[in-house]
Amino acid sequence: MEIVRIPEARELAPEDQPFLEATKGWFKIDFVPKMSRVLLSHPGFGRPYGRASRRAMSDGSLTRAQKEMVAAVVSAINVCEY
Amino acid sequence: MAGTTHALNAVADGLRLPLEFGSSSRNPLVAVQTSDEASPELKALFDEIQTFYAMDRVPAVFRWMARDPIFLQGYWGAVRAAFSDASLDRLTKEVLALAASMTAKSDYGVDLHLREARRLGLTDQGLTEAVEVVQLFNTVTKIADALQLQPDFNPRSEP
Repeated sequence: MEIVRIPEARELAPEDQPFLEATKGWFKIDFVPKMSRVLLSHPGFGRPYGRASRRAMSDGSLTRAQKEMVAAVVSAINVCEY
Repeated sequence: MAGTTHALNAVADGLRLPLEFGSSSRNPLVAVQTSDEASPELKALFDEIQTFYAMDRVPAVFRWMARDPIFLQGYWGAVRAAFSDASLDRLTKEVLALAASMTAKSDYGVDLHLREARRLGLTDQGLTEAVEVVQLFNTVTKIADALQLQPDFNPRSEP
């Protein structure tokens, strides 16, 4: 069970709504993941982290697919269910 | 791939086997045989391993395993299959092995897989990008665990 309350996307700051909407498109899903909502409940941390994250996961010298596999391996080694 | 990497790292770091490429002050806790001491059948297997990694010797972790040649033969077959070009190419697999090794804080694995990834063509830019993803996901996995976030994706569902 989560130890903090996860805000709904609409409860977050108006200036963060475009990023939250874009997150759905990024993952091709119709909801905003909990992690995005938790991070943006602390905008001073969540905003720069979100920007760094989006940039780092985009196609570059490595493809986005390769980067998602790296992320999956890190999550597996850390035994992170989320 | 992630499984065999994690296992070989556990053996190599657990037994304090010296790093293959970086300078190392580690003293192995066990005797590790040299290629010269190998029987003819083992020699053939050693040659194959050495060629696979384009090294002038067999990585210490496999020389340790040669204490039980039948086990080495089987396990090496699995490692070779896991790291050969298939749906994923060998370079991608080495980048994933590097990410697994960094995340598990394995000195032996980072040393071996960084060299392998570079040998197979990973550029400095590619390395920077891979490490950024490792760093980002070591951050979010720690946050997710600390807050005990329940998954909101179903990994079995098709996009």
